[in-house]
Amino acid sequence: MPSIVNAEELAKKRIFLILASPVNIRQRNIDLIREISSLGYHIVVITTNYPYNVLMKLYDESGIDLAQVSFIDAVTRYSIGNVEDKPGVVRYINNPSNLTDMGIAVTEELKGRSGKKVCILFDSISTMLIYLSSQNISKFIHFVTNKLRLTDISGIFLAAEKGLDPMLVAQLTTFVDKVIDTG
Amino acid sequence: MKRKTKKDQAGTIEPDILDNALVMITVLDRKGTILAWNRAAETVTGYAREEVIGSAAVWKQLYPDKEYRRTITEKIVQILSSKNYFADFQTTIRTKSGDRRIVSWNTRETGSGAGAREIAIGLDITEQRKAEAFRESVVENANVLITVLDSAGGVLVWNEAAETITGYTRDEVIGSSDVWKRLYPDKEYRRTITKRITDIIAARHYFENLETTIVTKSGEKKIISWNTRQIGADETHQSIAIGRDITEQRKAEEALIAYVTEMAMRIKQPVEIIGDNLRDVAQLLRQGKLTPDEMAVILEGQVRNATQIVSNIKEFQKAIIEKQKEIPEAYRKFLKG
Repeated sequence: MPSIVNAEELAKKRIFLILASPVNIRQRNIDLIREISSLGYHIVVITTNYPYNVLMKLYDESGIDLAQVSFIDAVTRYSIGNVEDKPGVVRYINNPSNLTDMGIAVTEELKGRSGKKVCILFDSISTMLIYLSSQNISKFIHFVTNKLRLTDISGIFLAAEKGLDPMLVAQLTTFVDKVIDTG
Repeated sequence: MKRKTKKDQAGTIEPDILDNALVMITVLDRKGTILAWNRAAETVTGYAREEVIGSAAVWKQLYPDKEYRRTITEKIVQILSSKNYFADFQTTIRTKSGDRRIVSWNTRETGSGAGAREIAIGLDITEQRKAEAFRESVVENANVLITVLDSAGGVLVWNEAAETITGYTRDEVIGSSDVWKRLYPDKEYRRTITKRITDIIAARHYFENLETTIVTKSGEKKIISWNTRQIGADETHQSIAIGRDITEQRKAEEALIAYVTEMAMRIKQPVEIIGDNLRDVAQLLRQGKLTPDEMAVILEGQVRNATQIVSNIKEFQKAIIEKQKEIPEAYRKFLKG
């Protein structure tokens, strides 16, 4: 299966916006994790759609080394209430719209990983639209991409193709190095 | 009973013509003594011929203000010093009933020496002037740009709104067509607009709701919707152009469209996401990959997603119902870029 992101570009700490059809977006998440982890990267998954434990199970079934993945989970606590963080594995935030907590979680996760083979996967911009205006999403993505560049870490933002308005796509395009439409 | 026409004293106009004329006609001698005073003069001034014939006293009654009388007397003397008549000399008379009427005077001299006579024809233009003043007032007080142009695009009229919208005063624009170059400084855009206007005018002599973007004196860009009408059809025709500043309207429309687009994105896609997630849950359940607890977490998440979408729709409905003023500030700022 052809790779979704180029290993050399990933090594250059590039930032990608990956578009996938809505029906394929979960599978695209798994494909990317498998692909990037096989390149020796630790992946920080920021999930606003599937809870951490479900993703863990799906990754496990796909043969992904779970030690290479940690999570910022914006879904579980919002759905079922209080759950405890598991250091090094998962940080929960209360609400997908709480960008402050999400920003802190990202900063904490990146702390100490600068220069290492780390990649952030943000799944997904599309789900964020339920809770936030495109303006706020755009600001947050700008914040995260700046953080990634400052800490020399690569990043991937997942979004459903044809779901974003052209203005938001245009803004996101200016923040990332490459847009890949995987269909 | 037939009226006396004093034909002998006037000596210059047939009585019937004199009396049936629709304009004031009076015949005077060198000293201003009234020799003839027609029916229209009686109607306009309120003074009967019996009251005025044979005397020059009526002029003091018609111009009771000493200063004003002195001013117009000087003007008459000045005019007559260079020619022996005057044309369209406008004065304001006070009628017998105290009303003020504006009269346009035209005179001709007949005879010579002691028999010399002045025939003065006075046209009551009070109503006409009122209509003109009303038209000027309408033009001046209109909150749309109104300009009248000659056939070469030279500006003849430039109202107050035109000054406000463009920043150019009437003193700066009247008498030439230079203002168009200033309002459309980009040569290519000016050429395009000129061609469009020329094509439209050639086809039907006017245009409606033609939108152009002008650059004001302060450098601000404004969108103007133009409507024109041609006055006259010959080579010396004029055109009246009315321009409405629709800049704010356009911005508001664009903002509303952007907001609707944003909301459509924030409704359509999330609903699709919920659908896809539920389909996924069903698939994972069939494959035995989800525990009941995991399924409950996912389903609970979808319920919250759906609740949030309903809240978004309500916000959207409220904004539409209340029109643009209810568009949230966050969106407003976003839409302003």
